[in-house]
Amino acid sequence: MSISPEEIKVVPRGPEPGGAGGAYRAFGETLRGLRTTMGRLFDEPVTIQYPEEKTPVYPRFRGRHKLHRFEDSHLEKCVGCSLCAAACPAECIRVVAAENDPENRVSAGERFAAVYEINLARCIFCGYCEMACPFDAITMGHDFEMADYNRSDLIFTKEMLLAEAIDRTPLRGEGE
Amino acid sequence: MSRKVPNRITLTIDGREIEADEGAMLVDAAKQGDIEIPVFCYEPKLGQPVGACRMCLVEIEGIPKLQTACSTPVRDGMAVHTRTEQVKEAQNGIVEFLLVNHPLDCPVCDKGGECPLQDISMGWGNDRNRVIDEKRHFEKPVPLSPLIAIDRERCIMCYRCVRFSQEVPEDAQLQILERGDRSYIGTFSEQPYIAPFSGNIIELCPVGALTSYTYRFRARPWDIEQGGSVCTLCPSQCNVSFTIRDEQVKRVLARDNPEVDDGWLCDKGRYGFQAMYSLDRVLNPLRYEGGYPVPATWPEAIETAAAGLREAGSRTAALVGDASNEEGFIVQSIVRDALGSADVDSRRAPAADRETVVALADPAISARTIDIDTADVVLVLGTDPIHSSPAFDLRVRKAVRRNGTALAVATDRPSALDGGATEVERYAPGEAANFLIELAAAVRSGADTGVAGLLRGAEEAVVVWGERIGRGQKGPEALAALLELAGSLGFADRPESGLIEIPDVANARGLREVGCLPDAGPGLSETAKGRDVEAIRAGLESGEIDSLLLFGVDPLRDFPDTEGWRRALEAAGHVVCFSMTATETTEYADVVFPLESHAEKDGTVTHPEGRLQRVRPSAKRPGDIHPGWMVLAELSAAIGHETGINSAPEALEAITEAVPFYGGLTGERIAGRGIRWQDGQAAEDFTATLLSTTAADPVPAGVAPAAAEGSAGEDSGGAPGGIRPTESSPAGRELNDSGALTLGTYRDLWADSTTDLSPALNYLMPAQRLEVSIADARRLGLSRGDEVSVNSGETSVNARVAIRGALAEGTCFLIEGTIEDNANVFSRGEPARVEIGRPEVKLDLVAAGGDGEAGEQ
Repeated sequence: MSISPEEIKVVPRGPEPGGAGGAYRAFGETLRGLRTTMGRLFDEPVTIQYPEEKTPVYPRFRGRHKLHRFEDSHLEKCVGCSLCAAACPAECIRVVAAENDPENRVSAGERFAAVYEINLARCIFCGYCEMACPFDAITMGHDFEMADYNRSDLIFTKEMLLAEAIDRTPLRGEGE
Repeated sequence: MSRKVPNRITLTIDGREIEADEGAMLVDAAKQGDIEIPVFCYEPKLGQPVGACRMCLVEIEGIPKLQTACSTPVRDGMAVHTRTEQVKEAQNGIVEFLLVNHPLDCPVCDKGGECPLQDISMGWGNDRNRVIDEKRHFEKPVPLSPLIAIDRERCIMCYRCVRFSQEVPEDAQLQILERGDRSYIGTFSEQPYIAPFSGNIIELCPVGALTSYTYRFRARPWDIEQGGSVCTLCPSQCNVSFTIRDEQVKRVLARDNPEVDDGWLCDKGRYGFQAMYSLDRVLNPLRYEGGYPVPATWPEAIETAAAGLREAGSRTAALVGDASNEEGFIVQSIVRDALGSADVDSRRAPAADRETVVALADPAISARTIDIDTADVVLVLGTDPIHSSPAFDLRVRKAVRRNGTALAVATDRPSALDGGATEVERYAPGEAANFLIELAAAVRSGADTGVAGLLRGAEEAVVVWGERIGRGQKGPEALAALLELAGSLGFADRPESGLIEIPDVANARGLREVGCLPDAGPGLSETAKGRDVEAIRAGLESGEIDSLLLFGVDPLRDFPDTEGWRRALEAAGHVVCFSMTATETTEYADVVFPLESHAEKDGTVTHPEGRLQRVRPSAKRPGDIHPGWMVLAELSAAIGHETGINSAPEALEAITEAVPFYGGLTGERIAGRGIRWQDGQAAEDFTATLLSTTAADPVPAGVAPAAAEGSAGEDSGGAPGGIRPTESSPAGRELNDSGALTLGTYRDLWADSTTDLSPALNYLMPAQRLEVSIADARRLGLSRGDEVSVNSGETSVNARVAIRGALAEGTCFLIEGTIEDNANVFSRGEPARVEIGRPEVKLDLVAAGGDGEAGEQ
């Protein structure tokens, strides 16, 4: 089967290798790129020296969870209702509730969380637990530095979540 | 009165044409057309609807006002609308009204997530409440009983619990107190609501007002899984659903099966799960070395057990109790096939022989459980269902209350059903035979008074009889008379009439049918006659039997003749004990194997009506427990007999092969609701092979005619009916001047290890009490609460006196199976004659008391 001349399409090509065209292909484009590099050479560096330096997070940043107590009575706000566990798409929250002893209350309601664990290795920081909580007992904090050497150390217990978190993350101020 | 097939009619709901049974309530008819009408108070299990909550209002064409769908029966051609503006407004209004006082503490409420009020508010309610006033307040939560907490703020006054208490167990303890907006649920003068079925109200409550102390705050609906199984704590074999969290049972719910339990559960079944996690549970195999238990590995334990059994060979006996059909089958196979012995029994005391068992199991004269519902007459004979099988008590009550069934009760001890009975007969303990012979004679001679008259006048009659009437010397006569009665009443030709036996242990029927009887092999086949339970005990004592295999039995607590069993166990050379918990009996064992509970087992059990049901594993086996069938199969292999059973379904297959009338039953066919083998394909086989080989006449030859003649002669001078009036019942004849009473013993619902080991039920464990009649109490100078000692020869038991008016003079009763002062020490086949004395008081107390009085004078 022969090809008719009108079917042939001619593709334009760059300079032939060798000669002036070849030299341009070797150095021309490189120099064009280097112009940007040279231009920025004496600018301030933008690298942040983490962990000595940290980027401030936005106020609504969803970091490590915190459990709260009432400021006046120091009772736990959490009543162990398990709604956070129900809302959690990663199924990383485990709550085992128990009944309050009226003499020695742990929380304000009838029940309290005897066990409250979040497996942070599995948490996706979606914040649904915070939204599901009817008592504002759990909120997402700003801490994101949770790396550890051991998976089981990433299961945070109620005591760890209730403890005053070490303020390691700078918060971005208004307009920053 | 027999079961009627209702006519089908057609009606339209929301424009959809729906076919329904005539007389069905609109709510139920709508369900068949996939239309949901919200309800709170409607619960068909509670009897007639009351229309108390008004949630189910619907519009019916031709009726100007809205009607309650729960209490409106359907009519042909009815046109109903459930989604009109008017209905919506009414539904919104009712939800708003219910929420006026409802506290909305869903996050702390146990019902949250499985709450009909939540669901209905979301589905049919408005999201705004216009009421701004203070809600009403109560102290919360307060105990309604040691098992149930009541939170009155959450109550929406649907009356379900009150109706349950009045209509189902008929204890009428729960009441509405106060009036109008102050009304609340409570009991008279705040007495705790203690009743055998109290836990059902928790399940009935459509809000979180009634919560269970054992489940409070343990889990949320999204934390749990449900595992359907069967409760094997008593012969009722109620269908249950285990709530599992963290692989442990946290709660037991009823799994509605109208043909078995009607959707109710007794408190033993509901709270007894705690025994599974008791500290006394055996969690791994144990070997006894020098009298002390030493944990053993499975191979070690099996080798030790097998070595002992091998050595004893045919001098081995086995007793089976709390076991599935599969386990029972393998035990009898070990004894018969591997060891060449024939000594295996599943009963606590000797009762009917093989021919009688076969005759009584004849499908033609057997009744179904649901036949009780629609029978014209029910005779409860020699058993008090509230203690022996609680679900039957509720069913008989339902028949009497709702269907107008006439009830006759004939027992030795006053029964809980006496109140609703038309005829009550009392016989002396162990004298059921006399009563039955007279009754059979009266029925034959055409009496039209008393129990005989009732039975003769009935179109459909059901006899619910207790295994115990077949015990003792006169047992065979009693059962022969029972068969004769069934024959002369023509049960074989009446489709909904028949006999139902209430056995002593949960799976007694299944164990008998798979061959755990001394004279019957699998399928009640003829086999070499071995020793029965009493002969096994005697054989152990005399040294004729050397080795004993105990599977789920505790002879020292549950069997008659405690001292005899103690001697027998001491004399036994080698004892292998399969037990769920450590008991006094396990201390006599050489090897103890742990047993699974009914939440962990995989197997089948047979209901007293012949229904095979599946026990399904729902929870994790704690510790190092292996499945029962597996251990037994390994044990059998170690003795040198391969069973060929490598899985639970294979064990069932082995049974269906060995038991002809179970033929064709597979796990799939038994399924969740069970299947009566009488309805299976192989039922004819039973009639064809077993009945024809025994006798053409179902009554064992030799016994019945003689007994019948004897009784006829005895009664010849009496009334044509031949039935004595209750006052001069046989018990009266036995009175003599010495003041000795005839002692009967009975198994109290709560007197067993489940109650001991479940902390929630502990308080129900009865202390020993002596029931005496008013006349005897007066004669012996006893008053209620007196501490007495009951003596028979050398044996003595301390008890407190309880006076019961309905008790026949000359008889008295003690409880079997109590922790202390167990009445089983007295039972040696025949009812004991006992003297009532004062207990020996400790010396120092007497001295102190005497001194004090002397000083004062």
